[in-house]
Amino acid sequence: MEKEDVAVDAIVSENTDCSESDRGWNQVCEALRGMVGADAFQRWFRLATWMGEEDGIAAVAVPGEIHQVWIETNYLPELTNAVTSVFEDVREVSVVLTEVAGLPGLEGSPQSAARSRKAEAVVLEGDALDKRAKAAGLNPANTFDSFVVGGNSQFAHAACLAVAKKSGVGYNPLFIHGGPGLGKTHLMQAIGQEILRSQPGARVIYLTCEKFTNEFIDAIRRGDIEKFRRRYRSTDVMLIDDVQFLGGKERSQEEFFHTFNTLLDGRNQVVLTCDRPACEIKSLEPRLISRFECGLTVEMQPPQMETRLAILKKKAFDWKVRVDSSVLSFLAEKIRTNVRRLEGALMRVATYSSLAGESVTVDKVEHLLRDLIREEASRQVSIDAIQKAVADHFDVRLADMTSRRRPASIAFPRQIAMYLSRSLTKGSLMEIGEAFGGRDHGTVIHACKKVTEMIEGEAGLKETLERIESQLRR
Amino acid sequence: MKFRISKEAFLEGLQKVQHVVSSRTTLPILSNVLLVAKDGRLQFTTTDLDVGITGSVEAQIEKEGATTLPAKRLVSIVRELPASEVEVTVDAKNHAQIRSGPSFFKIIGLSETEFPPLPDFEGARVFKIPQQVLRDGLRKTSYAISTDETRYVLNGIFTSFRDGKMTLVATDGRRLAMVDADLEFPASHETDVIIPTKAVQELQRLLGDAGEVVVKLSDNQISFTVGDSLLASKLIEGNYPNYRQVIPGDSNERVVISREALLETVRRVSLLSSDKSNSVKLVFSENHIEITANSPDVGEAQESMDVAYTGRPMQIAFNPEFLQAPLRALDAEDVYLDLIDEMSPGVLRIEGSFLYVLMPMRVTN
Repeated sequence: MEKEDVAVDAIVSENTDCSESDRGWNQVCEALRGMVGADAFQRWFRLATWMGEEDGIAAVAVPGEIHQVWIETNYLPELTNAVTSVFEDVREVSVVLTEVAGLPGLEGSPQSAARSRKAEAVVLEGDALDKRAKAAGLNPANTFDSFVVGGNSQFAHAACLAVAKKSGVGYNPLFIHGGPGLGKTHLMQAIGQEILRSQPGARVIYLTCEKFTNEFIDAIRRGDIEKFRRRYRSTDVMLIDDVQFLGGKERSQEEFFHTFNTLLDGRNQVVLTCDRPACEIKSLEPRLISRFECGLTVEMQPPQMETRLAILKKKAFDWKVRVDSSVLSFLAEKIRTNVRRLEGALMRVATYSSLAGESVTVDKVEHLLRDLIREEASRQVSIDAIQKAVADHFDVRLADMTSRRRPASIAFPRQIAMYLSRSLTKGSLMEIGEAFGGRDHGTVIHACKKVTEMIEGEAGLKETLERIESQLRR
Repeated sequence: MKFRISKEAFLEGLQKVQHVVSSRTTLPILSNVLLVAKDGRLQFTTTDLDVGITGSVEAQIEKEGATTLPAKRLVSIVRELPASEVEVTVDAKNHAQIRSGPSFFKIIGLSETEFPPLPDFEGARVFKIPQQVLRDGLRKTSYAISTDETRYVLNGIFTSFRDGKMTLVATDGRRLAMVDADLEFPASHETDVIIPTKAVQELQRLLGDAGEVVVKLSDNQISFTVGDSLLASKLIEGNYPNYRQVIPGDSNERVVISREALLETVRRVSLLSSDKSNSVKLVFSENHIEITANSPDVGEAQESMDVAYTGRPMQIAFNPEFLQAPLRALDAEDVYLDLIDEMSPGVLRIEGSFLYVLMPMRVTN
């Protein structure tokens, strides 16, 4: 090892057992010095360390944020050039901070020995979990501790906890479905974190289905599909969010199918989330649907009033904001559909009260959140509203909806209205029949069946129904 | 409430606060200006929840009260009023009637109780700074603030009160401007804060030549009081990077150049720089600088300046806008340009406290 200059010396002395990649980095430094000049090199790159390369992206760690800013804005082309001249696989170089430079994600790749030694020296014990979670793509805030369990999510929560404790054995795959903002992602990420915590050696990957697809396409384009497969088929725990996006993507589905099988065969845990049951995902291959359904399927329901209130109280406590309990009850009562929205509303109230420096009243909140509340209220569609909208649309009298008259020009709109009442409200067949002039429940069934058939056969009817529906939702 | 006021005073009061009102806001009340008529003065307040500003002008108050009115609309109405006297009456429903000469307007406002009050600065640390010192400092640094929102800590001026000095720093990664000034304050007040761009802009409008500005600092808020105007702003949270790392050590060459001559020359020559090659080249030889710009598809420009230069011949290229910005903001007769080599940053200094580090562009010949 040459000791001809001070700058390289600093790096070399740190790594007396010089591995191949360290030698490469020394070559990079030499090249870099020529490109940026000795002064700039000394100032910005002397303390930089090589973190390794993965998927064509190399990481170089620097000690301070100012180094990161300055190198990224001024020296990135030189750095990239110098790195690619030595490491041929690299396409891109990212500059990271030494203290954040990650352990995982890069683990298991050939040159990890030197790197993890360096990284271990700088990662703080207490934050290690957070850092690993982040590197796995998880949000450290989403843990089991921070999840509020209610009747709506009890089963899902229990199932996830069981998976986290004994991954790969019992419920594999675990399929969580439910509407947006109900905590699917939260529970799924909690599984990942719990596993990382209890089995620090586990390889956990969390990604959205969209990212899976994108990386797959990238891999095809670059022609290194092998690398992609190695990466995803060798994980211990795979968490995939929003699988409904697989619908219609045939090649991705196929790749996913094989990845999925490999993981299940190796008894590696797979967790999936989706905004609807697997069988309702449009244009998804039947063999994938059956794979999704072969483990445990749990559904997340919108939280009830008590759970919503508990969530708000917990959030208010976590954020250290003081909000009157009457205001919390008001929020919990008005915002029913979505936990994310509930938190957003609380955030708005909390921000307002901290800025206004006064406690907020229910009246004020009602004013502050009127857009949300209006939107929430409008989600509840009544049979009356449906009758009116349908009567308007077909230009018949509202009274005809309930009358005994049955010429086709009236009977057809009436059937449409019954069909919509069945699909948009929670009314039973009896209730709906009652609302349409005391008709029998069989009449309602017949109407629904007939309209369903006509949607298939008659062009334009589907659009008509959608138009009326969107009017009702407004 | 009811008051009479001259059109000029009304407009002046509104214009002082109107820039804070943002056109896109989720809360309708934030597009309004709060008007408070009291004790012979009319007070104006606006806020976007990050920055709030308040000021007042003299008015003939006939009935005290408060309301909020849509700021942008009010400004455009007052600006167009035909007579020099304005009479404004606001009823309990916050409907305002504006009379001036033959014209009459009625605009609908919102209740003043909905308007978020400016933050409280009780128990805050207080600094007194001569207005001129702060204004000069901001002018000499604010152009270097980064607009890249991914590095939000750089979207403001780093302000440090330490060792009996106030230091202002702004950088965007390609250049860095720094000014410091002596200032008296108790040692217990020593601290560093980052003032966001919007507050800096408003503050520059507010500051004058004479008198003091009273600065109050709480944990995450700062306020500036000039006369009866008050500007309050959130601070940017986070740590400013260690900017001292950027400042080069000893230079090899120093050249003294007339500031105005350099500014004008660079401005003229840069007419021939283009988006593709946005640079001007400074070629130094004995007692002579040749400044050139060259765009392959457009043409070229050059101009020479006589200076006292005895160093070795060298050339260095800079972004013309980045070179002009400090020259425009300074008022010194001469500037010093310190250089190491063509790849190292240039440093601009003046007689007095100012430092500007500028990264060179790559010269390709």
